[in-house]
Amino acid sequence: MIRNFRELYSYRGLLLSLVQRELKARYRGSVLGFFWTFLNPTLHMLVYALLFGVFMKNQIPNYAYFMFVGLLPWIWFSTSVSAGASAISDRRDLMTKVRFPAQVLPATVVATNFCNFIFSLPLMVVLGLIFGVVPSWHVVLFPVVVLVQMCFTFAVVYAVSAFNVTFRDLQHIVMNLMTLWFFVTPVLYKLSTIPEEYRRVLQVLNPMSILITSYQAIFYEHRLPDTVPLVSLLVVSVVLLWGATQIFESRREEFAESI
Amino acid sequence: MAQPPTEDAIVIQDVVKNFRKKTIRGEYTTFKSELVRWLRGQRHAALQGSRFIESLRGVNLRIPKGQTVAILGRNGSGKSTLLKLITGIYTPTSGSIQVNGRISALLDLGAGFHPDFSGRENILINGIILGMSRAEVRAKMDDIIAFSELGEFIDEPVRTYSSGMYMRLAFSVATHVDPDILIIDEILAVGDEHFSKKSLAKMTEFKRLGKTIVLVTHDMSTVERWCDQAAWLDGGRIRRVGTPAEIAAEYRQAVSLAEARSTVFTPPALTEGGGALPSLPEGPVVRDEPPASPPVAVSRVWLSGPRGEELGLVTAETRTEVCIDYVARESVEDVEFVLTLSSADGAVLYVTSTRTDRVPLPAPLPPQGRLRFVLPRVGLLGGSYVLSVELKTGNNANPEPGREARCTFSVSTEHDDRGVFRPEHSWVVEEAPAAPVQAVSVSKHAAAS
Repeated sequence: MIRNFRELYSYRGLLLSLVQRELKARYRGSVLGFFWTFLNPTLHMLVYALLFGVFMKNQIPNYAYFMFVGLLPWIWFSTSVSAGASAISDRRDLMTKVRFPAQVLPATVVATNFCNFIFSLPLMVVLGLIFGVVPSWHVVLFPVVVLVQMCFTFAVVYAVSAFNVTFRDLQHIVMNLMTLWFFVTPVLYKLSTIPEEYRRVLQVLNPMSILITSYQAIFYEHRLPDTVPLVSLLVVSVVLLWGATQIFESRREEFAESI
Repeated sequence: MAQPPTEDAIVIQDVVKNFRKKTIRGEYTTFKSELVRWLRGQRHAALQGSRFIESLRGVNLRIPKGQTVAILGRNGSGKSTLLKLITGIYTPTSGSIQVNGRISALLDLGAGFHPDFSGRENILINGIILGMSRAEVRAKMDDIIAFSELGEFIDEPVRTYSSGMYMRLAFSVATHVDPDILIIDEILAVGDEHFSKKSLAKMTEFKRLGKTIVLVTHDMSTVERWCDQAAWLDGGRIRRVGTPAEIAAEYRQAVSLAEARSTVFTPPALTEGGGALPSLPEGPVVRDEPPASPPVAVSRVWLSGPRGEELGLVTAETRTEVCIDYVARESVEDVEFVLTLSSADGAVLYVTSTRTDRVPLPAPLPPQGRLRFVLPRVGLLGGSYVLSVELKTGNNANPEPGREARCTFSVSTEHDDRGVFRPEHSWVVEEAPAAPVQAVSVSKHAAAS
């Protein structure tokens, strides 16, 4: 794992250039250009706000803001995983024609989506201010939660991208799985809505629910996130990341041949 | 690595490379097929030889530092696989590859080009992918743009480029990476004539700087002109290593022999036993004795200097003799030696024969002999040339394979003249004559007539 990341660090110039390019490429040729980075999650949010805030009339105050807090990190995670699945298998040109450090490709996907996440944070703050929610000192813990999510996302994306080289079905499975995963994660509703007996199971089985509730604790409920789940998730994520890099390294030699 | 420094840039030892066949009954590997195979307990059966394509079957090759080495072989003989192994894109199934120095591979041009980005932006990303740092690419940016000769197109999106422009841009980036070892796969012929000249000049510069170059090509004249050594890869093994001229000649002969025997050209890797080309009846270039069939054959063609020494490099003014050694097994009459001089790219410059020049040959020919074609001066421009001599007997107008021999030589020059040949000439400079008078007389003359 250490070796994998040291290598990644030595290719940081490449990573940086690729991320820059991805960010630029995404909206190249569109009229609104970079503005889409803000527009996309906003439109996303408006749809859900209309559905759950107006039509279904739920009881959560400042519902649009509440949802936005969970939606942004979720978008980071889900787009990373679904795009990361084919990160290696789609780049035959790079893998078979030049000596190319394979882990840069999934890392680029995670980093690009992370940048989009960071860029849309001001939007969240502005939305909060509109609803009269001012960020409290609890935001100091925000980087910690981001770090945990970063580890977890990296682990998932590494494993998925490595397997997808030989099992192309995975990218389709992952896409559908993401929809399911979204609805079992408390983004649109509060964790407390879930019946007591399922809540624990969900928290243990779904690391994303721990992360999303932590963001909600910091930005919406203005309290510290629950320590025990978050710390245990950090440990689990690091172990997962170690496992994922092992898988990645062991399959790496096959990449160029299997694509 | 704790390996002792050697004089070799690349050491390849017993390298075997197998590929798993990807189409198992026409299906891609999926969860389902893997699961079914696993349930049937066939997972281990899959590892057996029949499911593998043997691409390389034990390659040993040393490439010394500073040399330009060509790898020859017909399609599918494993050349590209070998290059990818050297580059590190593939890992060998068994055996080892040791590379000393920074390596840069031009296996494909324009890796990672994005069509929506401008040439300039793509230079940056492509350069980094090829192993340069950002600062390095920025520093070389102007050189690269100048070399590509794209002018103001450099800021247009790459998707608007013509394919020639695309290749020129990609080649410019690739050649500005500053490696110790350069791996090139069949991409020297890029762009129009002007640009390919520039590319070749760039390659010459690489050579001059003492870089190691490994080159795969089918263009024999490139091999003979550029390379110090050639390795012939056939049926997944190195068949022969030697001077480019030797290997090229032997390769040509083996191919024509295979054609004559109407061997079916199957992909070697799929063929039992490697599908190597047939071996020649004897030694490399037929030197001592011709193959059994032709009664008379040219065994060797070479250039000799004034003192009888063999020449490979001459100047336009050198007095040279082309020595044609022949062997006659039976007494043959009515023999014609046809001498052809062509440029390295195959354009015929001059053809003559003993019949054309009415050379009295002894009849019958003695069992061994030599003809000398004497040139008081070579009279050619700088470059590489091929001399070939073939034999015709009686009314059989078609030369048979194995009866022909050739040699290559280079002409060095310090003149900038252009064209096809350099006639013997001198310039005379005179004081200006009474020009007006002459002009008048000419015009008068013209008026009169």
